[in-house]
Amino acid sequence: MTASDLVALSPLILLSATALVVMLSIAIRRHHGASATLALLGLAASFASLRWAASVTPRQVTGLLLIDGYTLFYWGVLLALAAAVVLLAYSYLEHQTGHQEEFYCLMLLATAGGLVLVASSHMASLFLGFEILSVSLYALIAYLHLQRLPLEAGVKYLVLAATSSAFLLFGMALLYSETGSMQLATLARFYMGAPNAALGAAGWAGTVLMLTGIGFKLAVVPFHLWTPDVYQGAPLPTTALVATISKGSVFALLLRWFHPAGSLAGTPVWWAFVIMAAASMLAGNLLALRQNNVKRLLAYSSIAHMGYLMVAFVAAGPLAVQAATYYLLAYVITILGAFGIMSVLCSGEEECCELEDYRGLFWQRPVLAAMFSAMLLSLAGIPLTAGFLGKFYVMAAGASSALWLLLFVLVASSTIGLYYYLRVLVVLFSSLPEDHVKVMLPRGRVPAGAGFSLAVLVILLFVFGLYPAPLWDLIRGISAGIG
Amino acid sequence: MLNLLWLAPALPLTSAVLLAIFGSRWPRKLVSLAGVGSIGLAAVASMLVAWSFLTAPPPGNAFVLPLWTWMAAGSFRPEFGLYLDPVSLLMLLVVTFVGFLIHLYSTEYMRGDEGYARFFAYMNLFVASMLLLVLGSNLLVLYMGWEGVGLCSYLLIGFWYRDAANVRAANKAFLVTRIGDTAFAIGLFLLFTQLGTLDIQQLMQRAQSQWPAGSTLAIAAAALLLGGAVGKSAQLPLQTWLPDAMAGPTPTSALIHAATMVTAGVYLIARTHVLFTLAPEVQLVVAVIGAATLLMAACSALVQRDIKRVLAYSTISQIGYMFLALGLGAWSAAMFHFMTHAFFKALLFLAAGAVIQSLHHEQDMFRMGGLRRELPVAFWSFVIGGSALAGLPLLTAGFFSKDLILWQSWAGLNGSIWFWLCGMLGALLTSLYTYRLVFLVFYGTAKSHVSERPGLAIKLPLAVLCVLSIFAGYLDTPPHFGGVPRLSNFLNSTLPALEEVHVGPVITEVTTALTASLVFLAGFSLAYLLYYRRRVEQPAESALARFWAAGWGFDTLYSWIFVRPFVWLAEVNRRDIVDSLYTALASLTQASNGLLQRTETGHVRWYASGLAIGSAVFLGLVWWMR
Repeated sequence: MTASDLVALSPLILLSATALVVMLSIAIRRHHGASATLALLGLAASFASLRWAASVTPRQVTGLLLIDGYTLFYWGVLLALAAAVVLLAYSYLEHQTGHQEEFYCLMLLATAGGLVLVASSHMASLFLGFEILSVSLYALIAYLHLQRLPLEAGVKYLVLAATSSAFLLFGMALLYSETGSMQLATLARFYMGAPNAALGAAGWAGTVLMLTGIGFKLAVVPFHLWTPDVYQGAPLPTTALVATISKGSVFALLLRWFHPAGSLAGTPVWWAFVIMAAASMLAGNLLALRQNNVKRLLAYSSIAHMGYLMVAFVAAGPLAVQAATYYLLAYVITILGAFGIMSVLCSGEEECCELEDYRGLFWQRPVLAAMFSAMLLSLAGIPLTAGFLGKFYVMAAGASSALWLLLFVLVASSTIGLYYYLRVLVVLFSSLPEDHVKVMLPRGRVPAGAGFSLAVLVILLFVFGLYPAPLWDLIRGISAGIG
Repeated sequence: MLNLLWLAPALPLTSAVLLAIFGSRWPRKLVSLAGVGSIGLAAVASMLVAWSFLTAPPPGNAFVLPLWTWMAAGSFRPEFGLYLDPVSLLMLLVVTFVGFLIHLYSTEYMRGDEGYARFFAYMNLFVASMLLLVLGSNLLVLYMGWEGVGLCSYLLIGFWYRDAANVRAANKAFLVTRIGDTAFAIGLFLLFTQLGTLDIQQLMQRAQSQWPAGSTLAIAAAALLLGGAVGKSAQLPLQTWLPDAMAGPTPTSALIHAATMVTAGVYLIARTHVLFTLAPEVQLVVAVIGAATLLMAACSALVQRDIKRVLAYSTISQIGYMFLALGLGAWSAAMFHFMTHAFFKALLFLAAGAVIQSLHHEQDMFRMGGLRRELPVAFWSFVIGGSALAGLPLLTAGFFSKDLILWQSWAGLNGSIWFWLCGMLGALLTSLYTYRLVFLVFYGTAKSHVSERPGLAIKLPLAVLCVLSIFAGYLDTPPHFGGVPRLSNFLNSTLPALEEVHVGPVITEVTTALTASLVFLAGFSLAYLLYYRRRVEQPAESALARFWAAGWGFDTLYSWIFVRPFVWLAEVNRRDIVDSLYTALASLTQASNGLLQRTETGHVRWYASGLAIGSAVFLGLVWWMR
């Protein structure tokens, strides 16, 4: 390992070090604000070092990690998301009893796992990243362990994630036995049916088992069943983390793995992805249809959104990677904003996530309600928002690969989706019930940190929805290497 | 000076907008000032324009005032411009001048009405729209004016909207003319797609150069435009709305449903006469429609009880004459008759209004009588206007314009003995029903009490229109009476000159004029015998009379053919069959939601099995596909 390798790894190293520093500071003296500040500073330093790391990339660091423009882009996205989660978590945890500080330590570790996943070029690093992420999430989901729902969700996630890891691991073993390689790039060549490298039965079986593990993390049909329970049970900042950092990093990995030059189209594994995409879009939107808990509703909607992403994923060519990346970015911004607003609204120990709690929100908290509406409209894919352009690019990618059936499903299921997003909107703007008792944040102010991150998210939502050119160019640049 | 042209539509439009916004808060004097003044100024502007046009004719005897490009979408870039040539100048003068007189009259007629400002807002808007229709250089602008006058007509027929019958009449007028308007719109689409422009002059040039005479496209275009004209001008088979339109205030009937708007169809055909020349079959249809309408409406006018309905049917009949002239190719004759008709029909309606107002809104002629001494101004207006309508030889304007059409119905391009006979028979009926009206209302014994007498604002317009009804005819007198056809000559720079294809042997210009005079006398004498000497006190009750009174049963016919089946269909389809498809879709979605919801059990063992089952399925898929 040379000095340059260390430079390339510096964001990851700084992040891991921050986790340690936060842990140590807790051991010395507990202070919520200090831990949060340290976490933020560490994330900022890590983010700043991206520039430094960029000076030595692209670079294969050992056999495990590939640091290139694509990696750095996603690292930047993950770090920024983590910073936003810290800001939101701070205001959320202020209202909770029990220790607050460890949250940041765990959260930083989960982010580090995500960073490893994005950069991994080898099965070992893939599994490592996977587990760092999962193990942190167990604790994060059950963080409010004195309450019933978070604990239940944590245990469920623990059991299921462990099961899925077993699938992943077994799939890796099968693949290795068949191909003798653990390099993802080498494996990808087998799928493309490279000359004298056809995959045998064990190899395909191994691939399917690995997809089970990955599909679980992404929560695509048929590996989606856990999503609503965990989303609902987890504390809101954790839910946001699961929805953004966890899913985003896994998807970035998937994109890198299966999208080197060439096309999967027509191979068995491609068909598996197509089925996952169609089933996720339909099942996700249908399940959300009559959901009265906003967290569960957004959980189902996230299943559908992963399906949309998969449409771009199964399309061929450079447009596919760009569209998927744009959509992913638009989606994480939107969903983080949505959960962020919910976490700001939920003061007190009780989370208020029933749809009825939001009735007439606009007349009490107009700004927050307007922001929430913007997020919902973006999720529904209404023009002027990032969500619309994301969907537009996905459709463009799908159309360029002539995936007409998938596009039809996309359009049909989006229409179904419109129903439940608008349902929430209607509740937000309907008049207050007569016997209105429950008041959300009646006079209170939105904490500065959370307010700042929400404002940035809303601005990004519209900037990416109205003026996508700079971001699009950036994405085109970084995806040139892999698409 | 010609550049003042834009003021003509702009002034009434401005006034209409102001009145619509502030009218209810303004004092009546100010409302009258804005409402009448704007039209007056528009009339003055029109006269200045006309003076300048006549003294120093612009090159080509046509003047284009481009204002702005309406919109630009590819090759579709309609110019919003005004086009002035002899035909539109004639229309402009008539509309603004007659419009002004009627507005002046309205200040007295409508003075007690609570919707005073609303009335003037509608009327001003009407004049503005009518002027756009007349002056538009582009068919799209013309169409805008066309729809604008349709809207104002609707608003004014239903002006007293508290009475449901008025609202029904307004709806009827709007819906029936809509059929024509739709045909017109399709005609516009056809013209634009085929000829690539909607500018009227370019359109005519391109049609002439690209379409051979009698080509299918020319016939289709002309027929569609004719559809629009028939609707607006209340000709067969879309004439049913006009008699009901009399539900509006009488000045409205005078302005819109007699003098100006209903002649828009005549104007449209004259404006696009090139198309009709290219489609001789359609032109013949125009003549046949005109002849049939003029006879049918004249018969109906003969048996009406309501004074305004007589005038309404008479209007339909007179426009029938104009259509006949158009169909014959006697374009300028149609425009001439339009002008004289505008004067004497406005006069008759306004005089009828004066009568009605004096008698507490009594409109039944059989309850009037002996008003000759009570209402001398109305009486003389009726005598003069009625004589012009019936065509009192040599003295009245109506004689000259009708005589020209009658002569052309034999001598013109499409002329035949049948048209000539129809025209003569129509003239006989006209004379008969006109003097029937005069004798019933003004002679005999008085049956109603006259409560008030018209004031100056009513008398003045009547007097001016009386003068015009007599002298306007001298603008165009036939050469064999030693006259000069000034108007025809003036119009000939735009419209083709009158042709005389058949002359003689029996029917010559002189014999036609003589026959027309005899027919007039016959009608007058018949009316004199029936309604003065014998004094028929009850309307005819025979089956034929009832049939005619009901407008030849067209309302019943349409009710059975269109209205009832439609209502029946609507009743049957109360729960919208198309909706059921969407309801089914929605229930399907709900059902799948319910089904999928069952998979979310909350049990970890089931979730884990989900992982295993999913893997198994994909393993099977891969195995099968490998």
